Amino acid sequence: MTRRALVEAVRGAAQRVIAEPGGLGVSLAFYLVIVGVLSGLWRVAVENNGGDLAGYSAVALTWYIITSESATVAIHARLIADIGDDIGSGAIAVELLRPASVLGLRVAAEVGRTLPKLAVLWVAGGLLATTVAGAPPRPLALLLAAPSLVLAVIANLIAQHAVAAAAFWLRDAGSAWFLYLKAVFITGGMIIPLELLPNGLQRFSLFLPFRAMAYAPARLAAGYIEPELLLQQVAWIGVLAVLAVAVFGAGERRLQVVGG
Amino acid sequence: MRGLWATLRNAFAEAAAKPAALATQMFVMAANDFVWVIFWVLFFDRVGDIGGWDRDRILLLQAVLTAAGGVSLGIFANARRIGMMAVGGELDAVLSLPVPPLSHVLVRRIEPINLGDLAFGVVLFAIVGNPTPQRTAIFVLVVLASAVLLTSFLVLTGALAFFLGRSESGELGFHAMLLLGAYPVDVFAGAVKVLLFTVVPAAFVAAVPARLIDDFDLVRAVELLSVAVVFTMAASATFTLGLRRYTSGSVWTRA
Repeated sequence: MTRRALVEAVRGAAQRVIAEPGGLGVSLAFYLVIVGVLSGLWRVAVENNGGDLAGYSAVALTWYIITSESATVAIHARLIADIGDDIGSGAIAVELLRPASVLGLRVAAEVGRTLPKLAVLWVAGGLLATTVAGAPPRPLALLLAAPSLVLAVIANLIAQHAVAAAAFWLRDAGSAWFLYLKAVFITGGMIIPLELLPNGLQRFSLFLPFRAMAYAPARLAAGYIEPELLLQQVAWIGVLAVLAVAVFGAGERRLQVVGG
Repeated sequence: MRGLWATLRNAFAEAAAKPAALATQMFVMAANDFVWVIFWVLFFDRVGDIGGWDRDRILLLQAVLTAAGGVSLGIFANARRIGMMAVGGELDAVLSLPVPPLSHVLVRRIEPINLGDLAFGVVLFAIVGNPTPQRTAIFVLVVLASAVLLTSFLVLTGALAFFLGRSESGELGFHAMLLLGAYPVDVFAGAVKVLLFTVVPAAFVAAVPARLIDDFDLVRAVELLSVAVVFTMAASATFTLGLRRYTSGSVWTRA
């Protein structure tokens, strides 16, 4: 598969999203409601605890939440279920006829579909955070948070494809996305910073890939300049890619056997 | 009324036709709800009480919200799909039947996965709600009122699609209501709090009912009932007026 095919898949999907501003508007409204409520809750919690929670100030936590939520809300929520439907119904068989990796093109298209949304959400979230809480604690950290957000989205999309591939065997991944998203909720640090988890759960989350999908960019945006988080994300992307290729490959071979 | 009852029975029979799938889906949703319980336990253990809300009260709120959500999204599953049906022209079949269209559409389909919410809410109340006979009776009544309000709100926002020509309003209403309803209302102030008690009455879906179970107050109970009645009337009127603008999509479904 050529690099050009992947680039075109990203570009084509991104152009389709930009051409449909109504969909972007709905995502933005949903995102603003979520971050408005959740960051408000955390600000009250910080104030009740003397202005500091595990090293996070109210401003830092607001920037944490607008970043962790943008990394996850930008991704199509029912992606796992939709991939599972395509596999279960056999629709994916048509894509197998192309001289290109089904997994590669699908992930590339989803990255293209997600990036414009991510940009809109994060900028809007930044404006909201500045208005209701204050300027970013360390603006320099945002320079690290931006690429980290992109890596978070890539890691998440690859992992969702790996999970959805279960449909090659189960014929359906409709329920898996509920559980997957909730794993990102807590152990990915999406709605609560990992430093606020009990020690055991915090240590457990270190061994899971979900922290690469929300916690890493959020921690950076909260003002912690920790470049090693980016390296951890790249490592997790590598691990998840190997896993996804293996599972999808095995599934595709099985689909050929079943479908004839 | 007999027709509606028979329709509801059929919908239940359809959902129960695959018991293994029903049980799996209910389990998955219950697991999903349990994650929120974990979050709130972690949150309140870490930050202590906030605005009169503590761990026990927020879990009571979750019990009410999931149980009411289970009734609304599980038993009246089409409430969430009114907007899509209106825009897609999928109401032809129901309009040809000698039954009230809205009532028929609402009881026509059961969503098995959301029955997991209902089961979870009841179990959570049994575990953390200190279920004395009096509290259990109030729990049942407020969950029913909350379910009526939630269903009405979903129908109202969905029926706006008849006038707007797009169905996003229903989905936005759904997410806004469930999301805002899950939080302790006293944390918010000013315009947000006014919003939660009026345009998006999320406070009446879970926070007010949860308070009624802990500390019953007749005035607050009447307020809850009044809001449920007002939204029911508004939803019914909007749907009925919207039907005048309905355009068939030549899609013959069972609605």
